[in-house]
Amino acid sequence: MKFKQMVNPAKGLGAVMTGLVLMGTGLSVQAATDEYLLTVTRPNQLHVIDTKTDKLLRSCDVPGTFGNGGIASSPDGKVAYVMTNKWEDVYGFNISDCKIVFSMKQSTPMEQVKSIISMTVSADGKELYTVQNPVKLHKDHFEAIQPRLAVYKTDDGLNAQPVRTYPVDRRITKLGFIEKTSEVILGGGDIKAIDTTNGKVRTLAKLQNWDRSPEGWVPPDAFAMHTMGEHIGEYIMPYFTIKWNGEPGDMEKAEFLWGMTKVDTKTGDVTTGEVLPFEFIVFNWVTDPNDEDIVYGSFNQLSKHNIKEGKTLAVHPMPHTYYNINMLEDGSKIYVGGTSSDISIHDPKTLKKIGSIKLAGDMSTSDLRIAKVQR
Amino acid sequence: MKNRSMKRVLRFGGAVAFLGFASTVSAIDGPQIIKENCLLCHSETGKAEAPFSRISQQRKTPEGWQMTINRMKSQRGLLLKPEDERVLIKYLADTQGLAPSETADFRYVLEREPNVVEQNVPEHLASTCMGCHSGARAGLQRRTTDEWQKLVHFHMGQVPSIEYLAGHRDRPWFQIALNETSTQLGEGYPLVTKAWDDWKAAPKAPLNGDWVMSGFMPDKGEFSATVSVMPNKKDEYTLLVNGYYANGTKLTGSGNAKVFAGYEWRGAVVIDGRKMRQVFAASEDGQSLSGRMFLKNDDVIGGEVFAKKAGKSPVIVSVSPTYIKQGTTQTLKITGSNLSEKISLGKGISVEGVVSKTADHMLVKVKADAKAMVGDRTLAVGASSLDAALAVYDSVARVDITPGESIARIGGNGGPIPKQKSIYRAIGYAAGADGKPGTEDDLKLGYMPATWSLKPFDAVAEEEHDLKYAGKINAQGIFTPGDAGLNPERKMSTNNVGNLAVVGTVTEGGAAVSGEAHLLVTVQDFVKELIQ
Repeated sequence: MKFKQMVNPAKGLGAVMTGLVLMGTGLSVQAATDEYLLTVTRPNQLHVIDTKTDKLLRSCDVPGTFGNGGIASSPDGKVAYVMTNKWEDVYGFNISDCKIVFSMKQSTPMEQVKSIISMTVSADGKELYTVQNPVKLHKDHFEAIQPRLAVYKTDDGLNAQPVRTYPVDRRITKLGFIEKTSEVILGGGDIKAIDTTNGKVRTLAKLQNWDRSPEGWVPPDAFAMHTMGEHIGEYIMPYFTIKWNGEPGDMEKAEFLWGMTKVDTKTGDVTTGEVLPFEFIVFNWVTDPNDEDIVYGSFNQLSKHNIKEGKTLAVHPMPHTYYNINMLEDGSKIYVGGTSSDISIHDPKTLKKIGSIKLAGDMSTSDLRIAKVQR
Repeated sequence: MKNRSMKRVLRFGGAVAFLGFASTVSAIDGPQIIKENCLLCHSETGKAEAPFSRISQQRKTPEGWQMTINRMKSQRGLLLKPEDERVLIKYLADTQGLAPSETADFRYVLEREPNVVEQNVPEHLASTCMGCHSGARAGLQRRTTDEWQKLVHFHMGQVPSIEYLAGHRDRPWFQIALNETSTQLGEGYPLVTKAWDDWKAAPKAPLNGDWVMSGFMPDKGEFSATVSVMPNKKDEYTLLVNGYYANGTKLTGSGNAKVFAGYEWRGAVVIDGRKMRQVFAASEDGQSLSGRMFLKNDDVIGGEVFAKKAGKSPVIVSVSPTYIKQGTTQTLKITGSNLSEKISLGKGISVEGVVSKTADHMLVKVKADAKAMVGDRTLAVGASSLDAALAVYDSVARVDITPGESIARIGGNGGPIPKQKSIYRAIGYAAGADGKPGTEDDLKLGYMPATWSLKPFDAVAEEEHDLKYAGKINAQGIFTPGDAGLNPERKMSTNNVGNLAVVGTVTEGGAAVSGEAHLLVTVQDFVKELIQ
């Protein structure tokens, strides 16, 4: 039930920096950072929201048909890469003026290529990665072929082409980038990492192929529809499993459990294990920047949990479904969004609603991401 | 008289489009239509037995071919003249169709019978395909293994999220579907079968002539009718329908029918001003038709239909009601043709006389002795007989509501998708020899009149006030769901969905016996297909 705790040096450093702010040096990273909330609504617009005022700053028209509304931010926060056109194309927007500074189309007349959520940017901002799921378009039939990691150079500008590709597993969703090892995290049936220079893949955490007996456990359903975690540099792949305390299939004795594989995107440190009893559906999770044992979840409710103790601390019913959730770096506000056209703002201590941002269209499955821009 | 009716029918026929009824005639035949319209993508194989790539490696029902052509039109740029489309579907369904024995287990999906819970679906099909499709969807196709594999690849291109769906993503869905499910489908539902080769070669009985039909419509009740089926051109017929509902009201109608693969009857009729569809299968000897008739615009509102060809000898189609209580007198409606008045129902049942007689039915007054033995009786009318036509019973001990598991869907309210109703009937049982209801020896009595009510299915449904919002049931057992769209009165402004129990109560001699069915009122079906 419990996470194996790991020491996180980067976290310690953050605490020191916060201390500096309190001492009034004015030199802290946080003090010099503006955080912008990014999301996409139908029909197809990228929205930039100032988290200081929680006001919409600008909306950028995204070319093509709405896709999944996936967003990846450049590390300097200045460019937002948006996946569009039914999961096929990516456009990079300068978030200060909506200028399109990057674009790529994955499909060709001979090949239909979709990326299911999978998009991330390297820590230096020079490369953008997608996992491509290609289907060859023969004259009278389709042929699904092996998925691949595609590497694009962000300064190739418009109509960029992949500079490298490497074969990867099927069913990959959420990607992340490990700064220390320059690997892309591949969230699929198992959690793996691929070296972006040579395509070498290693396993970070076995999930569907874990070593537990089927008499004792149901193989996990690991799935992520959204990417977040940038507020503290964390990648979370949640999963659901059942522990059979009696005979397999004996629901009376069974335990329904949430598990999480967490990757520290700075160091690559991995923790994995069951963390909470399954009480209700949570679509996405984020960790409290000030207490790594505390997570918040969104769906039909906003909820707060202690994953060290395996306890639900608070549940705040929501007026409708919100797929998505994110937080500011200092942990002062929770943003709950996706699905419909309003972003609900909450106090992490009490989960009470403290504000709302109304958008012109539905967010549907769109990401809700934080871009951190140094002043 | 008959000629005048026929002219009226023929004029009407031109306006009906249901698997291709129309007056315009195509100038070219099936293979030529394929050559002229499909070879931009498909290729000629040079093999006489399978001349076209992909097309020749599959067999389907008329609806299956219609769906394929619809997809080619909407997504692959096929432009086909309506008259050529009709010829092509007929050609493909006739030459690459399914034998009667190959469709026998899956009629319900062609008949659009609602709320069927499929039984005995192979595990490989259930886990790979049935998250989206019925088992019948696969069961009504025949393909080579290579074609089943191409179908998996098609799904990957057409529905790229398929391997990420719940129930798929926790396993290597694509690899399983491609390497295991396709192989099993190729073995279970192969392109080449003896059943189809034999049926294709067998002579097909023409279906014209006079028929006696018995059926049920949820809002009108049981009916009997004579159907005059007149040949129009090959495999196409004109119909005249004349009959009576159970309450004696007259029923009249007319329309057309087209027969595919020698037995797949598809009719479009207007009965008492309502447009209806018939999906029947003719028996291999061409002497009976069975299937379902339903409203064109509301296919849940329909019911079973059975018809036999009338000839010189007496034919019994059905009896209603199918039960009589010990010591009571009952009027039976015997549907059939050339019915003689020599009627017998076995020991303990006396026939008191024929009340009335028409071309399609006879009303007969019968009496059961107080000590008549409980059990089924054979009805004999002259030289003709019907087994288990009438059940003699002591008391109604159990009532089952059918369907036991059901779904209705909210709709309407200005939206493009109409409400999907659900319909219920009560089936009575006597306790049988052991005196205990719910045991194997219970005696099925048949459909009984019932009163209808709803209640919350569980505590959650009660707390959410589902009963108030999800819909209403009428005296005929027809449930009409609530309006579509968000309802601000409800928690999270949710739709008028609900989880209900349908209660049907049969009252007999002051004693009420109830049965319950489960009804889930859910959201609209946004992807409704000819074969679900």
